[in-house]
Amino acid sequence: MTMPLDAHATDEPDEAALLARYARGDAAAARALTLRLTPRAYAQAMRLLGDRAEAEDVAQDAMMRLWKIAPDWRAGEAKVTTWLYRVVANLCTDRLRRRPRGPVALDEVAEPADPAPGAEEHLQAEARRSALAAALAGLPERQRLAVMLRHFDGATNPEIAERLGVSVEAVESLTARGKRALAAALKGQAAALGYEG
Amino acid sequence: MTDRQDKVDWVDALLDDVGGAAPADPSGDLMARVLADAEAAMPAPGGAPVREGLWRQMLAGLGGWLSVGGLVAATAVGFAVGLGALSTVGLDALWLGEYGAYYDDTLGFSVNGWDFEEG
Repeated sequence: MTMPLDAHATDEPDEAALLARYARGDAAAARALTLRLTPRAYAQAMRLLGDRAEAEDVAQDAMMRLWKIAPDWRAGEAKVTTWLYRVVANLCTDRLRRRPRGPVALDEVAEPADPAPGAEEHLQAEARRSALAAALAGLPERQRLAVMLRHFDGATNPEIAERLGVSVEAVESLTARGKRALAAALKGQAAALGYEG
Repeated sequence: MTDRQDKVDWVDALLDDVGGAAPADPSGDLMARVLADAEAAMPAPGGAPVREGLWRQMLAGLGGWLSVGGLVAATAVGFAVGLGALSTVGLDALWLGEYGAYYDDTLGFSVNGWDFEEG
């Protein structure tokens, strides 16, 4: 619940307005969009991929797609933040699906360079993140986005419905089915991830 | 509590734990690279290049809708006369065709729209 989708102050121009200014060659809009959107894209990618270099590649790739689409952007059809969220999610999913599959055990997680107090917690957190990301990658896109928007971004069901262009009832169904699918994909890993006993 | 509910509960906890982790901050290098990309891809000041579809380019090349309308009408009339069927088809049919709607609905390109995969 740490990265609201629309965290900027309401008196600032929204992303669509900035993108329109960028398409007209406004360098200040390029800087504003970079500062506003790159941290979100990177944080989202890190949460799914857990690797700085890969997350940076994904964030840069997603932002490049935004720059390229700017001249053709149609204001009002979709929110820029939602479009970018979806692009990042799909780029990460592509990478996750190319990774070797299988349950993640604690001893498979990379050791921190300098073991210190909290290292065990770090390993546990990384094992959880990695297992969840792999399971999310196996979900159909709308289920994945609905679950991520709900649990990673703290969006309410009506907000998710608006962003995905579906009804609130459909969001409830998507998140419920998504979580059941995650439970099936993560079956047998609860104890290893510290959720039993 | 059912077994099925237990399974979803621990997944809920997992989602909240992973989602509640502090977001990673991007490096200065990444921000600089993204800004460099933005500046390199930015259209020239004053306006974005307008990408026009093939049909619009052909239309402009032929002199616009008015010219094409005349061309289409002349062709259709010639065709109808040739068939000797003008009296049964009627000229109105030529003007009531929905070519414009066909262009917008069938050939138009939606930039922001997307179709989700099944799920």
